[in-house]
Amino acid sequence: MLTPADENHLAAIVAEAAAKKTPLAVMGAGTRSGLGRPMQTADTISTMLLSGVTLYEPSELVISARAGTALRDIEGLLRGKGQRLAFEPLDHRGIYGTSGNPTIGAIAAANLSGPRRIQAGAARDSLIGVRAVTGFGKVVRAGGRVMKNVTGLDLVKFLAGSMGTLAVLSEVTFKVQPAPETEATLAITGLADERAVAAMSAALGSPYSVSGAAHAPADEGEPARTYLRVEGFEPSVNHRVQQLASVLKEFGAVDVLGRGTSASLWLTVLDVDALSAPFEVPLWRVSVAPSEGPKVVARVRRAFPARVLYDWGGGLIWLAGGDGEDAGASAVRAAVETSGGHATLVRAADQVRNFAEVFQPLPPATMALTRRLKATFDPAGILNPGRMYAGI
Amino acid sequence: MSAIIFPTPDPAILSERDAIVSGLISILGREGVITSETERRAYETDALTAYRIVPLAVVLPASTEEVAAVLKFLSERGVKVVPRGAGTSLSGGALPSEDSVVVGLARLNRVLAIDYENRVARVEAGVTNINITNAVSGRGFFYAPDPSSQLACTIAGNIAMNSGGAHCLKYGVTTNNVLGVRIVLIDGTVVDLGGDALDAPGLDLLGLIVGSEGQLGVVTEATVRILRTAEGARPMLMGFASAAEAGACVAAIIGSGIIPVAIEYMDRPAIKVCEAFANAGYPLDVEALLIVEVEGSEAEIHDLIERIKATAAPFHPLATRVSRSEAESLAIWKGRKAAFGAMGRIADYLCMDGVIPTGRLPEVLTRVGEICAGYGLEVANIFHAGDGNLHPLILFDANNPDELVKAEAAGADILKLCVEVGGCLTGEHGVGIEKRDLMPYQFTPEELDLQMRVKSAFDPKWLLNPAKVFPLRGRPAAA
Amino acid sequence: MQTNFTLAQLADPETATAEKILRSCVHCGFCTATCPTYVLLGDELDSPRGRIYLIKEMLEGDHAATKEVVTHVDRCLSCLSCMTTCPSGVDYMHLVDHARSHIDRTYRRAPGDAILRALLAFVLPDPVRFRLAVSMARLGKPLAPLLRRIPPFRRLAAMLDLAPWSLPPRRERNGVGVYDARGARKGRVALLRGCAQSVLDPGINDAAIRLLTRAGIEVVVAEGEGCCGALTHHMGKRDHSHIAAQRNIDAWIDEMDGDGLDAIIVTTSGCGTTIKDYGFMLRADPIYAKRAARVSAIAMDVSEYLATLDLGEPAVAKRPTVAYHAACSLQHGQQIKATPKDLLARAGFSVREPAESHLCCGSAGTYNMLQPQLARRLRDRKAANIAATGAQVIAAGNIGCLTQIGSATKTPVVHTVELLDWAYGGPKPAALRE
Repeated sequence: MLTPADENHLAAIVAEAAAKKTPLAVMGAGTRSGLGRPMQTADTISTMLLSGVTLYEPSELVISARAGTALRDIEGLLRGKGQRLAFEPLDHRGIYGTSGNPTIGAIAAANLSGPRRIQAGAARDSLIGVRAVTGFGKVVRAGGRVMKNVTGLDLVKFLAGSMGTLAVLSEVTFKVQPAPETEATLAITGLADERAVAAMSAALGSPYSVSGAAHAPADEGEPARTYLRVEGFEPSVNHRVQQLASVLKEFGAVDVLGRGTSASLWLTVLDVDALSAPFEVPLWRVSVAPSEGPKVVARVRRAFPARVLYDWGGGLIWLAGGDGEDAGASAVRAAVETSGGHATLVRAADQVRNFAEVFQPLPPATMALTRRLKATFDPAGILNPGRMYAGI
Repeated sequence: MSAIIFPTPDPAILSERDAIVSGLISILGREGVITSETERRAYETDALTAYRIVPLAVVLPASTEEVAAVLKFLSERGVKVVPRGAGTSLSGGALPSEDSVVVGLARLNRVLAIDYENRVARVEAGVTNINITNAVSGRGFFYAPDPSSQLACTIAGNIAMNSGGAHCLKYGVTTNNVLGVRIVLIDGTVVDLGGDALDAPGLDLLGLIVGSEGQLGVVTEATVRILRTAEGARPMLMGFASAAEAGACVAAIIGSGIIPVAIEYMDRPAIKVCEAFANAGYPLDVEALLIVEVEGSEAEIHDLIERIKATAAPFHPLATRVSRSEAESLAIWKGRKAAFGAMGRIADYLCMDGVIPTGRLPEVLTRVGEICAGYGLEVANIFHAGDGNLHPLILFDANNPDELVKAEAAGADILKLCVEVGGCLTGEHGVGIEKRDLMPYQFTPEELDLQMRVKSAFDPKWLLNPAKVFPLRGRPAAA
Repeated sequence: MQTNFTLAQLADPETATAEKILRSCVHCGFCTATCPTYVLLGDELDSPRGRIYLIKEMLEGDHAATKEVVTHVDRCLSCLSCMTTCPSGVDYMHLVDHARSHIDRTYRRAPGDAILRALLAFVLPDPVRFRLAVSMARLGKPLAPLLRRIPPFRRLAAMLDLAPWSLPPRRERNGVGVYDARGARKGRVALLRGCAQSVLDPGINDAAIRLLTRAGIEVVVAEGEGCCGALTHHMGKRDHSHIAAQRNIDAWIDEMDGDGLDAIIVTTSGCGTTIKDYGFMLRADPIYAKRAARVSAIAMDVSEYLATLDLGEPAVAKRPTVAYHAACSLQHGQQIKATPKDLLARAGFSVREPAESHLCCGSAGTYNMLQPQLARRLRDRKAANIAATGAQVIAAGNIGCLTQIGSATKTPVVHTVELLDWAYGGPKPAALRE
């Protein structure tokens, strides 16, 4: 395990690996090592020592930190000033049963976003600057500390979600938002999946600024529950709760959950608590137009039983199930093929993830571009090789 | 014409003009190709009229297939391609070269599909920004990024430049609102990236395309998010005795946890010109004016406005006015959005587009004034105060070649200042031709090299939108 | 924008004016968004910005107009939607008028084109000739669909299409005379009789006279006035248009200096824009400059003037829903937008505005005859937008629009003033009685 203490050291390590063509795995705290295809690497770089907040300007809504900084520390710092990361970073520890302190770098590198993505954008939408070490071992910056930046190609967005295959992030800059005064969640019980998506659509298509829309179908004796969250100043939240209750009343009786209950509830949605255990069951993440969500689930269930959780108004589906050497991939991919969108095999045994494609296979032209771009950043193919696709 | 150098046109291509033109005519028909010199001249520039170069030919395809056929034909012959939306770029993004063919997308102007349930719309790339909103406004929806030129600019141009607009403080810029594109690569391959889901598999190629200034391909269709319009919106005006107080007020508003829909800043000269055009009732005897817009129900708007007034009080606003009617709100925004054009009534000008950390506004404004005065020029400032995007309008006389040179020098100094204080060269208008040579102020040679190699991955022969964005020196051999 | 005129060129006042206009354009491109031909064709050259560019090049170069410039300037409707949109206040109207005049003087048109234009300039402004032409056209109307398919005959087909099947009977003295106010006289105005409207639909002026006299206004249709010159002016035939203007100015100055006039009322908004422009058109004329300015100063669209009067209470009755079509000359040329709608609403009509109301219907003077394909596309687009409102009646303030839109719809098409007259005690408009 290589643990560079600063960026120059990191760059030197990568440069050497490039020269010798030694494949490297890149890791923060390792809480998400199960995400992606298994790799054959000679060594691992951890960013754990590349830590520390380098800039925080609350009045400019910006924070920069080295990639290995614990997310928990950043969130604590922001909370102290009544601010937060808008996109609700996703925590995989429950899903993988791992421990450790997830890093901010991983959030950017894997574009990990939670329920509020529908309103506030994904991690990549809040990411406004990076420092990174390319596969050449060179340090480059992209973006900066200002929200509006169209100078040159947008490598910030391009590196976000690239899962360490193009460059190792050494520092990230995020725009932040004020934390709201309060929140509340409207809950409807007993809706079938299509009806739930229709309810969420009605809420998201209303002017009442919904910041979370999730649906947990009936499971193990628990009835189905559909959740809509609103956040903001108290008078505003009260007004919008009232209005949304009227919008939603055609779907069923509406309960209103107060601030504390709401906050805890959404943490469970964010961390996909309901589907975390058992670990042996494969976990899929499907991204699709919301109205197609229930159709995809229905098609998958014709092939194998699956427990699901809908987020993003129905546009993000966590699906626990699938067996066989491909964890049900052929059924899932076929279901997604018809609806458009894509599916990722988030959790499965190593040999399964070797056999089945983890990420949605790309059309030939897109794959060709992807290969050329990988070669542009990492010609020696040493950074997280094969983590996303074979050869990338 | 002044300091910016243009590459020598390729004599081989120029000598093949007739063959190229007849090839284009056989693909698009006579009506799709513009060949006479007089007519080509109308395409020699965009909204940055200081630079004018007549292209080899202009084509106006009407479909993705036609765009693909044209690009394939041209790239096989090594002819450069300059994509053009509405030609409203302020950075010379649509400026051709003598050996290039302009591909105008205005005929791809259909709204293809609107999906209110999933809140997305699919449009051809030549649809204007406002027409996307117009297509969905009947159902209470809108397309959020609203550049001031939204009346005329196309979504193609918005995607190329990653355009913002006054309301991007709350709703984000183009890259945060586009879910998919259909793009034609230089060899004619048509690639679909993204779609109507909120994310796409693999590398964020879509994120790379947005803001790529026509360097990587020609976008012919886009799938964008449409959002429900808030119950209501209201702008309020606050005038201040100094830039420092106005700037501090902005910081305080944001620090208090309010994110308005927009915070716009105008200085005294800008206020005067905009008021003359729009009669919006801007206060004329203040140094700085803030237009702050909030959204929500009547009660929410009222609440937010009271909070803002309370937050602003320590900064002694000289004049505070909340819009009392729809007509007044429209007038307030009309004055702001037509600012650049309204300026044209009194003088020629160069509109700059730098970004600075918002906290540095007062000192930067002072420096901007000093820089321009140093060249003997006047300046008016308009600023997206919420996100730090500065638009100094440097006034000069276009019929005086000396003054253009000075104005450009002043502009360059201002942009360097922006980079110095931790900002960047461009927040909305893009690099284009205008800031190409300033790129080394913001990027190291390695960083520029990386970007150029990304460009080469899409366009190995550097045929797309040449002479823009990347400095001429240090380009790969093919360029 | 930067311009390149020599001092010698700028010594000519017309060129100097044009140069000032060109300088004010910043080439921002906003105008392209609301230009009907750009919306249809997607070509910069058929947008105001592109036309400005072509005109600039032509005038700077001091050379004869070329085919390319003429093609694109000919396609301009002079709808002036661009002027409404332009943030820099570019006086496009006067620039394109100047360009048309330059074209007329320097460009040799194809014989067919030249003859047709000369014919239109000869026939349209004269009610006697126009009436005769329309009567003959009726005979050819059945051939129009066939002729439309044959490119050289498209314009003829368009003209045949526009000709009405029947014409109202000719009026004695064509309406010239004084119409007394009812009750106490509160004002005195001249009413333009004009040319085409007096043949196609004299009922419009009848309604205006009834409405005005009922409100206590004495109306005079002056002896000696006639075509305002708009049609020939927009063809670039300045000699014709200036003579027409002078003739009208003489007729009205006589009245102004005689029994006096509070206003000169125009019911055809296309004419209204031109009459308001007499002061500019004749600004360099030693004899007419002042007289023209006096006339322009009191010219008003009928809706503008009506808004200043007390019309009383409207008679309450079941009124049809009205789609208000904003004629370009009214909304863009004269910047009169809300007034006609307000008048209709106050008179008890439920008013609906069609989508894309800023886009021309394609009439634009002689445009629907000289550019039939584009005019037809605009007409059909307008008709569809109007139909989508579901209104029972279409109202507009310009005979050109009424004729153009009328040729694409079965919904009754009437002048705004006819509806107002009906609401305030006059008869139901003829078009609604069927």
